[in-house]
Amino acid sequence: MTTMSKPKATYESVAWKWMRYSGIALIPLVWIHVAIQDVIVGVHAIDINYVAMRWANIGWQTYDILLLSFAFAHGMNGLRQVGMDFVHTDKARKNLSIFLFIFWIIVSAIGAVAIIAGARPDLV
Amino acid sequence: MAAPTNSFKNTLIGYMTYRGKEGHYAYLLHRLTGLGTLLFLIIHIVDTATVYFIPHLYEEAIGLYQSTPFMIGEIGLVFAVIYHGVNGLRIAYVDLKKPEGWNINSQEKGVRFTLILSTIFWLPAALIMLRALLMYNFGLFGG
Repeated sequence: MTTMSKPKATYESVAWKWMRYSGIALIPLVWIHVAIQDVIVGVHAIDINYVAMRWANIGWQTYDILLLSFAFAHGMNGLRQVGMDFVHTDKARKNLSIFLFIFWIIVSAIGAVAIIAGARPDLV
Repeated sequence: MAAPTNSFKNTLIGYMTYRGKEGHYAYLLHRLTGLGTLLFLIIHIVDTATVYFIPHLYEEAIGLYQSTPFMIGEIGLVFAVIYHGVNGLRIAYVDLKKPEGWNINSQEKGVRFTLILSTIFWLPAALIMLRALLMYNFGLFGG
């Protein structure tokens, strides 16, 4: 085998690695979340008091912040990659990336504020 | 090669007519399960955030998730999440640890293995969720 010098890291090569490493981290993060909320607890047992109880615990808050950060960043970059298959001009690709980036920041912020501030069942 | 006149349509035609068998199906299924999960995730982040921003709306969102069409969708979502994880782990492993595994023979075996493994993980979860659906929405099993 010939030795090759390592190519310089680019934005796309970092994104490529990010998809693989975040994907590995997401397997326990997402599967445990889905197993608890969808299968064990079930959607009929979930209401605002349940969410308030969960987010009163800093452990679950941290868990959900990690879940939000990893899953949504992984998903939005995945969408960007699919988008690159459909738009081909540099300008369209740049516009799509900027749009998805802004959308990602806004939705992540909405989710993070809710997790950190917690549920307000007293306002129902 | 001439520039495609409609790159959106051309890409879709490529997705549908490429004849890569197992590898092709896994690629399409990985993208579909990923996009489906992302679509749900966006809705899920926003609707869950109502517990802080507009608390009285949360009950309505949960009410929608408890309806029969959404509970059936939820069973499908769990398959998407499991398949995307199992197949993604296969991709990450071959890419990062075993790039020589990107050959047709290993691909065919790997794709079948991920489908079987995903189904084995999914079935018990699907049965529990199906039971909850029949119990709460159809009054079965003493619900």
